[in-house]
Amino acid sequence: MQSATLLLKKIVRSSVLPVAAQHGMKRDLFPLSRTLSLSLCVKQDNSCKPSEKLDLDAWKKVMKSGLQEEVSETVSEPQELSSLAAARETLEMWRLAGRLVPENVSDEQLKTFMECPSKSAKKKYLKYLYLKELYKKNDKRKMEEKRERRLEAQEQTSKTDETKKSPFLCLWASTMDKAYNWRAAQSMIFGQPLVFDMSYEKDMSVREVANTVKQLVQSEGCNRKAVDPFHIHFCNFKDDSLYHREFLKHYKEAWGKLLITVTEQCYTEVFPKDKLVYLTADSPKVMKTFDHDKIYIVGSMVDKSIKRGVSLARAKRLGLETAALPLDKYLLWNTGAKNLTLDQMMQILLTLKDTADWKKALEFVPKRKYCGFVAKPVSELKKTLDLVNTLKLGKRREEVQKQFAKNYPKK
Amino acid sequence: VQPPEKPLESEEWNRLRENFRLPEIFEEVMLNSMIRSNSPIDVAKSLLTHVAKRNGDVAYSVLVKYLTLCVQQGQVSEIRDVYDIMKVRFKILEIGAYNLFIKGLSNSDQWRMALTLLEEAKKIMIPSRTSYESCIKAASCHQEMKLAFELYHEMLAKDVVPTLDVLQSFFDFSRGMKDAELQKELFGILLYLRENQIYPHKTFMRSIKLWFESISGSKWRGHLTNIKDSGQCPVCNHQLEDSNLTEEEYNNLSERIIRDVIHGTDTFRKTSPQEFEAFQTFVENRLPFDIVIDGLNVSHIKPKKLHCENLLDAINCLAKDNVRLLVLGRKHMLMNSSNWKREIMKEMQTKADFFFAENISEDDAFLLYATLRSGKHCKFVTRDFLRDHKACLSDSLTRHLFRKWQRGHQIVLKTMFFSVFSQQPAFQYDCVVQTTGDTWHIPYKDVFEEKYSYQVPRKWLCIQQK
Repeated sequence: MQSATLLLKKIVRSSVLPVAAQHGMKRDLFPLSRTLSLSLCVKQDNSCKPSEKLDLDAWKKVMKSGLQEEVSETVSEPQELSSLAAARETLEMWRLAGRLVPENVSDEQLKTFMECPSKSAKKKYLKYLYLKELYKKNDKRKMEEKRERRLEAQEQTSKTDETKKSPFLCLWASTMDKAYNWRAAQSMIFGQPLVFDMSYEKDMSVREVANTVKQLVQSEGCNRKAVDPFHIHFCNFKDDSLYHREFLKHYKEAWGKLLITVTEQCYTEVFPKDKLVYLTADSPKVMKTFDHDKIYIVGSMVDKSIKRGVSLARAKRLGLETAALPLDKYLLWNTGAKNLTLDQMMQILLTLKDTADWKKALEFVPKRKYCGFVAKPVSELKKTLDLVNTLKLGKRREEVQKQFAKNYPKK
Repeated sequence: VQPPEKPLESEEWNRLRENFRLPEIFEEVMLNSMIRSNSPIDVAKSLLTHVAKRNGDVAYSVLVKYLTLCVQQGQVSEIRDVYDIMKVRFKILEIGAYNLFIKGLSNSDQWRMALTLLEEAKKIMIPSRTSYESCIKAASCHQEMKLAFELYHEMLAKDVVPTLDVLQSFFDFSRGMKDAELQKELFGILLYLRENQIYPHKTFMRSIKLWFESISGSKWRGHLTNIKDSGQCPVCNHQLEDSNLTEEEYNNLSERIIRDVIHGTDTFRKTSPQEFEAFQTFVENRLPFDIVIDGLNVSHIKPKKLHCENLLDAINCLAKDNVRLLVLGRKHMLMNSSNWKREIMKEMQTKADFFFAENISEDDAFLLYATLRSGKHCKFVTRDFLRDHKACLSDSLTRHLFRKWQRGHQIVLKTMFFSVFSQQPAFQYDCVVQTTGDTWHIPYKDVFEEKYSYQVPRKWLCIQQK
């Protein structure tokens, strides 16, 4: 049996290798045709030895016979691979090797990929693209399913054919928009100003700026839908900055019609200095109540690499009052940084403005970051935290205590 | 999934596959578990045959997995076959496959092919350090030391960091060789260790020792020893290099500390320009100090005592023989509170100079500045490892300088049971690989891994020429 295999191997080698060697030299001529149908030779394989003993190297024969066909098919079109095409090839091979690589890559993305400074940066970028593609695909599938369901439902209703009569007028989205805009316009005249400081472009990466703008768009949306909206100011806003370009991507032509104030001026030039309060998590002062006469400033910055004290430094430089949300006073903090996203800040400030109820306002802090509200004495809550952590994480008691001490420093 | 023990027929594979929860990825899962349990290669072959018969093709990912198994078992002829197949089947290969090929072939008599594959891999990407290592080991194993060193230098030029393992192999394989060029290269490796402040581990140290002792003619002898606190080697009575920086290094470091640590991107982040200026004039008027103390850090040494008492104890402990002390603190220490008694603060201020920073400023940056400004003799006291300040420095060279300076100038106070404080003194000597031409002193680690970067080894290899 073994000698037979050996012999077979030899035959296969001798017949194929010259071609392979020859081919290896000009492999650049090879096109991207891997999905070649080899059904013919497979059938032959099956038919000639259905009952023979197991041939362990049969797969090599199959792989190599496929190649002969390919060679005969394509010995033409000599071309130099450009670096872009080469990168595309590499990506394709990575995908075949089972790494997280998107199926479709645009030329622009490919260029960004090639400009990544390190291997790990490349991997990260590819994973990001891959996940993006995956989400997109899933969304598309869901949309399709939804449409089918709707069509089905429509068919059913048309069968029953029952005219519904409602005593209320159907309020369309455009009508709602008008109402919201009316309120926002009012806030631009009478509303309390809320400033977003747009001077952090230098401190952020391109991705972070994009995220910032996304969060700002969301906060603007929340504000518009609020009962009593703020008058939003974007201060220190430079035309044609990265912020501006990202905003245009999101809003398109609606950017010019937004009911907010956008200015190149600093907030210190627009408002009296003694009324300004800079909100920053690094501030040593803790906010006690929401003051309707003050003008709060929020830094438009997404800070993924935790640069401490950037916004505090800005407030210090201008000599402004600062404040932090009283997160420790009201919440039993669990994990995560104490800087919140811009839309969460917006929600919290809106709620405070309407109700002055800290508990209600701090509902908008993500649930994973805290264990509960401080209603009971802290010592009792500490026990709960201990219990939760030992149950959930299996953490040791001392560690939990250490974390507690970190979150609640002795005064 | 448990891989079968013997090669299976197609029908048997089919049955297994259908019983599997996700038939689409059956092959990959099966091959993975084969790799894990190191199954015989024939079993994997039979699976591939089954796949080839069913689909008429074997996917790239499956081939790579099979290759992993072959490499794991050192099946050289199979690796060659897989290479031939892949080479014609796919236009280019990805770096993972190249790494496997190189690893598989470098251990065999086909090791020269691994070198050509390394060249090919370079066209796509910078090869991994394991690829370089396998090639270097293969070359030096076959006495091609020149080639091995070429690869080694190429690796360094591409910023691929070699492991201690590959450095050790150089010493192992050149044992007993007579070649002046080679000797120079190996001394070069020792200097590489010195420049990057790397400490060899015990087995590596042994390789170095054996290599030195194998050089005929020059009669090197190696001894293991512990260096005294004074910095004198007990074996050869040689005084080790002291931990002082050169004038140029010192100026460079203080400049960089002011630029990167104190100012950084924005002076307001750690202090404010007014405050820094005030501090500068304060220091200039009172220079030089002998010891600079991080007041707040020291005041937390004994948790059961009041903060100000801790600080007072520390000052009393350090204030001997007319040394000039500077204590850095924050303004809140001046407010009379339960932890900071006004009388005790007054008493301390007669014994040492105090500078109080704003409550939101960082006093560590001031600590570094005052110490550096006072000159080389000045030491500082804190339990902080100052890692975050080291991280502010932008290049590794300055970071090494900082580390060296810190080792030589930081005093750490420890609490004992009865005595008030014990000082862990700053190092008198520099803990790096060092040579005088006819002696070498090499610090080494007892354990394989160095746990903390601030810990330096206490054991040394002393090599001297008789």
